[in-house]
Amino acid sequence: MKEMMLAAPVFLPLAGGAALLALSGRQREKDGPAVRIISGVFTLGVSLVIFWLLNRSPKDSLVLFRLYGSLTVKFQMDPMGSVFLGLIGFLWPLATLYAFEYMKYEERKPAFFAYYLMTYGITAGIALAGNLVTLYLFYEMLTLVTFPLVLHPMTKEAQRASRKYLYYSISGAAFAFIGLVFLLSYSATGTTEFIAGGNLNMEAARGQKNLLLLAYILAFFGFGVKAALFPVHGWLPKATVAPTPVTALLHAVAVVKSGAFAILRLTYFSYGTEFLKGTWAQWAVLSATIITIAFGSTMAVREIHWKRRLAYSTISNLSYILFGAALMSPLGIMASLCHLMAHAFMKICSFFCAGAVIHQTGKTFVYELDGLGKRMPVTFACLTVASLSLMGIPLFAGFISKWNLIHGAFSLGTGWTKGMGRILPFMGAGVILYSALMTGIYMLTVLVRAYFPKDTSGGPDRTETEENISDPGWRMLLPLMVFAAVILLMGIKPEVFLQMDRLRQIGGTIG
Amino acid sequence: MFNMEQHLHLILPVILPVAAGGAMLAGKPLKENKRAGRVVLLLALGLELLLVAQALMKGGGMVFWHLTGTMELAFQIDEISVLFAALTSGIWLLVGIYGISYMSFEHRENQFFGWYLVVLGVLIGLDFSGNLLTMYVFYELMTLTSLPLVLHERTHQAVMAGLKYLFYSVAGAFLALFGIFFLAGIAESLTFVPGGTVTREIIAGKEGLFLGAVVCMIIGFGAKAGMFPLHGWLPTAHPEAPAPASAVLSGIITKSGVLAVIRVVFYIVGPDNLRGTWVQNVWILLSLLTVFMGSMLAYKEPMLKKRLAYSTVSQVSYILFGLSVLNPVAFAGALSHVMFHSLIKNALFLCAGAVIVTTGRKQVNEMKGLGKIMPKALLCYTIVSLGLIGIPPLCGFVSKWYLAAGALASDTGVWSFLGPAVLLISALLTAGYLLPVSLNGFFPGEDLPCGDCMPKEQGKKEPSLSMLVPIGILTAGTLLSGIFPQSFFAMLTGIAERVF
Repeated sequence: MKEMMLAAPVFLPLAGGAALLALSGRQREKDGPAVRIISGVFTLGVSLVIFWLLNRSPKDSLVLFRLYGSLTVKFQMDPMGSVFLGLIGFLWPLATLYAFEYMKYEERKPAFFAYYLMTYGITAGIALAGNLVTLYLFYEMLTLVTFPLVLHPMTKEAQRASRKYLYYSISGAAFAFIGLVFLLSYSATGTTEFIAGGNLNMEAARGQKNLLLLAYILAFFGFGVKAALFPVHGWLPKATVAPTPVTALLHAVAVVKSGAFAILRLTYFSYGTEFLKGTWAQWAVLSATIITIAFGSTMAVREIHWKRRLAYSTISNLSYILFGAALMSPLGIMASLCHLMAHAFMKICSFFCAGAVIHQTGKTFVYELDGLGKRMPVTFACLTVASLSLMGIPLFAGFISKWNLIHGAFSLGTGWTKGMGRILPFMGAGVILYSALMTGIYMLTVLVRAYFPKDTSGGPDRTETEENISDPGWRMLLPLMVFAAVILLMGIKPEVFLQMDRLRQIGGTIG
Repeated sequence: MFNMEQHLHLILPVILPVAAGGAMLAGKPLKENKRAGRVVLLLALGLELLLVAQALMKGGGMVFWHLTGTMELAFQIDEISVLFAALTSGIWLLVGIYGISYMSFEHRENQFFGWYLVVLGVLIGLDFSGNLLTMYVFYELMTLTSLPLVLHERTHQAVMAGLKYLFYSVAGAFLALFGIFFLAGIAESLTFVPGGTVTREIIAGKEGLFLGAVVCMIIGFGAKAGMFPLHGWLPTAHPEAPAPASAVLSGIITKSGVLAVIRVVFYIVGPDNLRGTWVQNVWILLSLLTVFMGSMLAYKEPMLKKRLAYSTVSQVSYILFGLSVLNPVAFAGALSHVMFHSLIKNALFLCAGAVIVTTGRKQVNEMKGLGKIMPKALLCYTIVSLGLIGIPPLCGFVSKWYLAAGALASDTGVWSFLGPAVLLISALLTAGYLLPVSLNGFFPGEDLPCGDCMPKEQGKKEPSLSMLVPIGILTAGTLLSGIFPQSFFAMLTGIAERVF
């Protein structure tokens, strides 16, 4: 019976979303509290179920149905899945609360919250997926269910962005599918089950080594589309036209981290590190992540639109996670998950600050932010915490994950005496530090502008409206403050708040 | 975790200024009230001096926070802490007194003092740090908290200078972090031990990487010390800040870079692991290059405060050169130059600030006839200038003597001759860029009075007493430490013996 509950986090939101969609047809309910009540109750309910599940952690898996032959749709909770599940279970209610305030004056609320809620279920499905087929299924559904959210502003720009998102994601999934098929044909169990350490039939695989490695790389880049890997990152900065709750939760956490999560599953639980380690495939994906880290943070410095700048920062930071994945070692997966959690909080916090500024002032460009630090003190205090953490200043969460990543890189690098393994990990460490500097530049210029405006004596005085700017309402402030607090706690007491022991355990199962 | 009462004396000197500064920045009653702000500033600075003295006397160490099993934050007081912490808290008090007078000519006084206090707490934390990680934490905090001092004026140039300062410092810190990560991976602990903790066995097989990591740390931490190639921020940022901030930035905060390099090389890596390697050669080359380049640029610079900033670039690299030859005598000379340069450069910047607030003159060629207006301030300026040039019996002579003697005795090949030669040339240049102010000031020549170079109202116009006294004390310190350096050098030689 307990395992039946595994399906609840997936199907409850879908049901709630359907209810909201039905509601959206009825014109008079448009601005009523019904939308908020339904999405609030469902979101909270799902989170409660998730935390109940995390508490009990049922061992059994739940086979929902059989697609064909050995292809089953199956839910299962394992340590790595519960990390992701717990993360979204924590973030979603807070983000929804924020969205209530942010979307106050927007059109088409029922549809927005319907898809927002449904995305929750689909993401939970990805976290709970017990095999690669299920993961792939939900991965495709994630594209479809988040597509209307990008489109939500219904402007020309949004149309273009959503179309781009759709094309990128679907073609990415197609590449991932190739990897899936090859895995299935060479699987040790005849299924795509996730097994810590890999699920390849090594005997059979050895014969077709290069072919399988190619399949792995295709799948890596395929899933990498959602994780915004260079050169398939293009959709992400464009998608910032979506409302901030979407950019913050989906394009900084749920969607992009689903991509990263899928790659972790692919690398550590499907193809297996034993098969991949030391091959040209590892060096190829490692190089790709290193290039993306450098590219993302450099572009972020060049970008002057605040939300797009944060999107480029996401590109770079997502590749920190993928870098950890590509290290293919216990330390690597640990660092990867560590950054997956830390970055979720840092980036959602930064985006929510940007959203708060947009909501209160309508300002979207970095050069417009002069002097806002005094007017919106709480918002910018939270942004300061998030920025310092993104930079990787000690005592903030980002430092811990950076420490682990570079530690992992060094221990990989010192294990090789020649060849790519000797060079790439160190290059990676160097690029991560370069990126940290760029992060300092693109985040701190915002803060310096906000806190230390240039004296404009003699220039045009501030207008009346600017005098009235203040922090947003509690629905937006509470999530911000919670996130900032979590970032601090993670940085100061990582053993407790980043669950380092559990992460180490996950690393241990990889071998 | 730790016995609170037993270790309070280590925590308190860090907490007190940060709390007082924080109260001034945040607290409504303190924020606007100038008088209250001054009282808090003086009380905090005075009390801090006592607390630091007590902490240094008691000594000891403690781990005050466990981040993870292997990452811990710890304080540990040793002789280097004593040197730096005593210097920092003493100078901070003097410059604070001066600042009260100086800042009354500026705006946002209490905001400045708030950050001024916060930085003090962070610096004391840096001086007390017992391992590399703790030091790095306070190092980053120092960059971030000293930023508001740099861009206090809020003009376009000041904000740009602040950003430049920030990015150079952060770049340096991350470069150093690369090395820290590497050392954390190989060394058993990052605790500071005189002579270093890294043994030959640990680095066997990865010598190349090890040396690469060390060079990253030297160049990275060297950014704060204004060492080439990451020196660019210093001549931009220091002159933009108000004079008290320029003084402590040049006099104390650049020394944090030196402190970090000392800690890395002599307390973690171990001088023997570097002797004769390419890292040592690169380090010597960079520091000598900086010595020469700084002096040349100072010589060419027409603006007084900027000229002093270039001088800092040059002088701090004297210290780095003294460290880089890895010789005990030069090491003692370097440590003494930390203190002497700090006294002198603070005095110089305070004089420059006094000139600015009393006469508004900023360019070197405007200084004609200054001796008629403010003879006492200019006299102090002249004395400490002579000290910086290295004229006996002033203190600069002693430190340079040790530096040159140590370099000559070191087995660094051609450097052992080239180094002292560069130092000599630089000393000449120092005379060339500092003394024209005195010469023009005291001996303006016959073309005086010449209109706008002499104030309308004839006669003296000395800066206020609270500005003159700190300058005077610093000058006296320069004189006395030059005449009676024995006991100080006995202590420094003791440190040198332990680390080599």
